[in-house]
Amino acid sequence: MIVEISHFLAIISTALFFLAGLFALTIKNTFYTTNLISKTFSHAFLFFSASFFIYIYLAITDDFSVQYIANHSNSALPIFYKISSIWSAHEGSMFLWIFFLALWGFIFNIFIKNTEILKPKTIGIISLVIVGFLLFLLITSNPFVTILPIAPVNGADINPVLQDPALAIHPPTLYLGYVGFVIPFACSMAFLINNDASVKWESLVRKWSVMAWIFLTIGITLGSWWAYYELGWGGYWFWDPVENVALMPWLAATAFLHSLSVSIKSSHLRTWTILLSISVFSLSLFGAFIVRSGIIDSVHSFANDPQRGLYLLAFISAIILISLSLFISRFSLTRNHRSIKTLSKESFISINNIFFVTLIFSIMLGVTYPLIYEYFYDQKISVGAPFYNAIFIPIVILASIFLFFSIESKWSRSLDLKIFINPIFISLFLSFVATLIVFINLEKINIFVLLSIFTGLLIIFRYLIEIWSSFVYKKYLNPFSAIAHFALGLLLVSISLNSLLSSERALNIKINEYEEYKDLNIYFRDLNLVKGPNYDSVKANFVVEDQNGKSFNLYPEKRRYSRRGQITTETAIYITPFRDIYLTIGDQLEDGSWIVNIQINFLIRWIWFSAFLMAFAGVVLISSKRKV
Amino acid sequence: MKILLKLLIISLPISFLFMFFVLLNEDKQIPGADYREFDLPIFNLEDLDSKRVIKNTDIKGASIINIWASWCITCQIEHPYLMSLNKRGIPVIGINYKDERDDAINWLSKFGNPYQLIIHDNKGSLALDMGVTGAPETFLVNNGKIVAHYQGEINASIWNKVFAPIIEEQGLFK
Repeated sequence: MIVEISHFLAIISTALFFLAGLFALTIKNTFYTTNLISKTFSHAFLFFSASFFIYIYLAITDDFSVQYIANHSNSALPIFYKISSIWSAHEGSMFLWIFFLALWGFIFNIFIKNTEILKPKTIGIISLVIVGFLLFLLITSNPFVTILPIAPVNGADINPVLQDPALAIHPPTLYLGYVGFVIPFACSMAFLINNDASVKWESLVRKWSVMAWIFLTIGITLGSWWAYYELGWGGYWFWDPVENVALMPWLAATAFLHSLSVSIKSSHLRTWTILLSISVFSLSLFGAFIVRSGIIDSVHSFANDPQRGLYLLAFISAIILISLSLFISRFSLTRNHRSIKTLSKESFISINNIFFVTLIFSIMLGVTYPLIYEYFYDQKISVGAPFYNAIFIPIVILASIFLFFSIESKWSRSLDLKIFINPIFISLFLSFVATLIVFINLEKINIFVLLSIFTGLLIIFRYLIEIWSSFVYKKYLNPFSAIAHFALGLLLVSISLNSLLSSERALNIKINEYEEYKDLNIYFRDLNLVKGPNYDSVKANFVVEDQNGKSFNLYPEKRRYSRRGQITTETAIYITPFRDIYLTIGDQLEDGSWIVNIQINFLIRWIWFSAFLMAFAGVVLISSKRKV
Repeated sequence: MKILLKLLIISLPISFLFMFFVLLNEDKQIPGADYREFDLPIFNLEDLDSKRVIKNTDIKGASIINIWASWCITCQIEHPYLMSLNKRGIPVIGINYKDERDDAINWLSKFGNPYQLIIHDNKGSLALDMGVTGAPETFLVNNGKIVAHYQGEINASIWNKVFAPIIEEQGLFK
């Protein structure tokens, strides 16, 4: 049985990873032991990736004697989905998670020279984290279990909502982001164990952390995009608990990157940087715990199993407590006796850290409060958008205003705060005028939304001026920071305008009838029964005409998948640069009319574009030749 | 470093983690189960087989109401369990949901009939009034009052977790 080979290789690699960890943390590191540890790790990775690729091979060749593959794949699936079916449920996705974890370690192992003083300990810590997860996989969620002696003829099929290209890519990208933060975490721990303040662990991990951050950013954005068109949620963010547990590591990671740049430049904020490196990784693991323990109900949660939850929680607790105790016992390492100058770049970034941590705590509260409340009062409550909006909007506005002024600031020098210097004055003026135009042209007015438009525009104009002067006067500009912050400004403006302008309505409409909504004229032309490869579908045809007389067809569908009897809604979206026209079809009413939901979503593409632009900024940093 | 700060750094995550240990070990509500009581809706529908009119007042005493349809795959899966309930003498009433009469009768002759009475709700109007979102769903009704509701496949484990405690509490099916 090929699956047994895969299983066996996974077990061998567990032992090898454990050996690498044991060597690294117990033996005094010399050049030779570092070499040994590095080789052991590489071999462990080799065994583990062999195990993983054999498993992929089994999925491609439809080996339904493997229970997991029988439950989540099907011989009729295209090869692409046969592979992605591996991460469509708990066991396989955990397998992928560990593979990525080991992959990061392996690439780090190859690229970092053996002479690097922190390397052996870093590799050792990564190995132990891998061992923790591998034991979790092998003990509580074994993907290698077989159905013998009689294997089913065909598999049960992948969940239909997961049969989508964005979803096949969304989990792997997100996982690459989550587990990528094992590198800064392991490095900071190695730094603490090594007990030498002169070692610059921060510059070692800069590019690795940015890389993980890029994956996390793209992963979250892809998820948001997928929920919009595939789940028919019709928006970009829902403060769903699992979205929140992905946002927390992202916020922590973003704060970490900021703090890291200070620690690299001037050895300030090292305490913050180390604590944030621990937070990012713990929050990533916490996300895995929330999703896989069944403690909450969400679209993302996997099958409920308390034993898994308990193991993960114990594992996370061990990681957090060990790393924090280590941090406390080596606290003196991170101290810097010079104090930070007021209004220097360092001071702005430390304020930024506080903003980010406040946001993380608020989300944590929003995620845990319903659980605590239910425990004590036996009542379900939900904490939703109003709570998060109330907290996020003012803090983000405030943080953006700080960002706006920090652009002028210098490293280790106080900022001469003059409002009337040209760039600030010009961007204030332009933003004010632009916001005024928005204000005059709109019926609905919300002071907070206007404020966020204003601050978003401030950032955009300010950076446009910076970019201009870098081209014309050859003024120094950090392209990474400029693109990322410009994207933030764009994000703020798009989100605000989206919330201000977008609208939706449910229409009752019969075939051959017209209905009007806003500037749109909607004609229900036809309804057909369509047979797909593995589903039956009701496919409607609408002709929508806008005020300029431009008309287009939309085909929303309702599908019933034959294998699982699951009903899904396929949205029909007409995309223009500034707005999406979004149709979904619901049930038929007694009088023969259909419920059709229409949404006009303004600037929603710009929201994802801004997020991708942020990720692109990360790519710019990685590909730049600058050392740190 | 101030000892207080050290304590804070370590105790904050400990308390958080401890909280999750407590929450994890708590008996969670079973997803899909609902215990809100409400009156059986007033209805006037035909029997599947005889086309005789059935009213809500015809459902007396304690019984199980099961929503099913011939097109519903999960209904086939839970079907043997309903048969076993019937054997144990527990009255099971079927609501045939958004289904064709002939298909439903064929289905029953193929798999067996666990139901004492089958209400043909082909428009799903009664099911709508009962808060049904799809088939299969199962209700426990006592003297014209719904006392428990479960969405999804019913089996021995769900029966023991969702319905058995209420049956015990109210002393039904004795």
